[in-house]
Amino acid sequence: MAELFSGAEILLKSLVDEGVDTVFGYPGGSIINVYDELYKYGGKLNHILVRHEQGAIHAAQGYARATGKPGVVIVTSGPGATNVITGVADAMVDSTPVIVITGQVSNAALGTDAFQETDVVGMTGPIDKWTYQIRRPEDVAPAVAKAFHIASTGRPGPVVLDFTKDAQRGRAEYHFEKCDFIRSYVPVPEPDEAQIDEAVRMINAAERPFVVYGQGIVLSHAEEQLKAFLKKGGIPAASTMLGLSALPSDFPYYVGMAGMHGNIASNLMTQRCDLLIAIGMRFSDRVTGIVSEYAPQARKIHIDIDETEIGKIVPVDLGVLGDAAQVLERITERMNFSFHDEWAVTARKYDQVEQAKVVAPEVQRTDGPLTMGEVISKVAEASGHDAIVITDVGQNQLMAARYSRFRSSRSFISSGGLGTMGFGLPAAIGAKTACPDRQVCLFVGDGGFQMTIQELGTILQEHTAVKVILLNNNWLGNVRQWQELFFDRHYSQTRMLNPDYSLIARAYGIRYRMVDERAGLDAAVQEMLDSDEAFILDAHVEEQGMVYPMIPVGRRVDEIMLNRNEWYEDGK
Amino acid sequence: MESEKLYIISVYSENQVGLLSSISNIFTRRNINIESLTVFPSEFPGVHHFTFRVFTTERNATQVVKFIEKKVDVLRAFSFEWQHGGASEHEIISDYLQERKNQLK
Repeated sequence: MAELFSGAEILLKSLVDEGVDTVFGYPGGSIINVYDELYKYGGKLNHILVRHEQGAIHAAQGYARATGKPGVVIVTSGPGATNVITGVADAMVDSTPVIVITGQVSNAALGTDAFQETDVVGMTGPIDKWTYQIRRPEDVAPAVAKAFHIASTGRPGPVVLDFTKDAQRGRAEYHFEKCDFIRSYVPVPEPDEAQIDEAVRMINAAERPFVVYGQGIVLSHAEEQLKAFLKKGGIPAASTMLGLSALPSDFPYYVGMAGMHGNIASNLMTQRCDLLIAIGMRFSDRVTGIVSEYAPQARKIHIDIDETEIGKIVPVDLGVLGDAAQVLERITERMNFSFHDEWAVTARKYDQVEQAKVVAPEVQRTDGPLTMGEVISKVAEASGHDAIVITDVGQNQLMAARYSRFRSSRSFISSGGLGTMGFGLPAAIGAKTACPDRQVCLFVGDGGFQMTIQELGTILQEHTAVKVILLNNNWLGNVRQWQELFFDRHYSQTRMLNPDYSLIARAYGIRYRMVDERAGLDAAVQEMLDSDEAFILDAHVEEQGMVYPMIPVGRRVDEIMLNRNEWYEDGK
Repeated sequence: MESEKLYIISVYSENQVGLLSSISNIFTRRNINIESLTVFPSEFPGVHHFTFRVFTTERNATQVVKFIEKKVDVLRAFSFEWQHGGASEHEIISDYLQERKNQLK
């Protein structure tokens, strides 16, 4: 008779056979059998003990975004499960492959309001890619195999496996069989040849073609295909925030980031182009401004792997369903070599305005307090534009997106669609765990830092050498900026009285340095980067710093505020 | 403002616990009230058939169908205006199942 294993052990065997090396988790009563097996598992699986389940899932997201491999989370039932919900929603909207295993009470106790029982299937179904409750030990291996297939193929996303006590404790045979087929699920639609031909015709006919690409380029490993496409077509391109680092910042056809706080060139060129080619992006309202006025002169092509995205926000002339790498390869092969130099070079004109009106006032000050832009530029430069940049949410994020420069893909990790404050610190831990040889720099505000500050304990225990750049201004800066601009300076609940971060760092045994002067910035940044341990650089920046340029909500993307008193006027 | 009409949203899926709730959430999230709902085993073995009757716009009906189809356990979904019953559904599902079977070999 074949050997029998507990469901808990089958789970761990399946994870190892799927190639998992690291899991992020937190034990509890309903998952204790899995932790008991883990105890015996020794070196095969590296378990990172976080300080709160939200930290586990954001760390898994950071791990997944840095590597492309699914991040794995193990938590208990009830509050363990509800504490990961924010991260599940975040991973869904940002297309991040994560596998969440939640403990669950025994089958007989389901639906009885048992201790730490909650309806995980009901709660996660609407916000994840797939949910499955495992009630029998023989279902563990197939469920895990399906979970990996679903999470990592097509448009990636989070999968939740709700693992009851009976399934953990019961015994079954184990055979590892990778899943690559589900009858009801077609992850990568085959591109339609007629659509490809139509796209080629539209691109060949365009005089001012323009590309806006998103994270789909990274997820489809289409970086090289995008470069070849842009070069052959002579087409300028802008990135969404989550697409950042897919192209190197100095790539000749790259004109910057699109959207609310994006570069002037990318937004203006969106409005002027006669053909907009959107690739692996989802027309977020932060990118489009007022939708009815978005790219008004352009015919539009949308290339995406997810059919629900095509025509969801912006009506398009042509949708091309498929994997970005495959579609771009086929289009590039068939299209004409072209030059649009006169058009492409208009980016320079806009860049000059941005440099003079926005960048210089931010990074070339000689007196007054440090600015966020200065600190970020300094870190970018001193790290050779080669660090993995993690951000939290708010001004720290927008400024990090604007002032960082990238050399390689998968180097910008941020909570985009959901905008989850508290994402940064645990995501940085996950990214550093995945890429121990790369410099991992987190930009975080004093607000978001305190939302998951407990994860400093994880850093203490795991010796995760994350570099934390705390852009500390004693405000919830982004909300304060809106209050200043649009709410008559009613600073409602945005002023923060902060703790002494040097004492917090000391309590966790983490190296710390405060910088509040321009003269000390270079040395402080260098000390942080040179450290082979975790480091908190507490940068006391201008209290009422602003992120410009800004397209206020409800405006067209060519209505751009350069500062409090000045709007961009084209031609001047 | 697009006018609201009565639509039938017809869904073929695997028989999966919790699926009904996440499909009905797709309507709830868009503030679409479900007028009636039936769930029954379809003529295809192992495949369940849901039909929803909803008052909504054409655009919403089209979008809802795409989002329902995005659910991993859903085979196909269709929408049509009430009284234009979809006689071709049976054929589409039958072809779909045959095609997927061939792909599996």
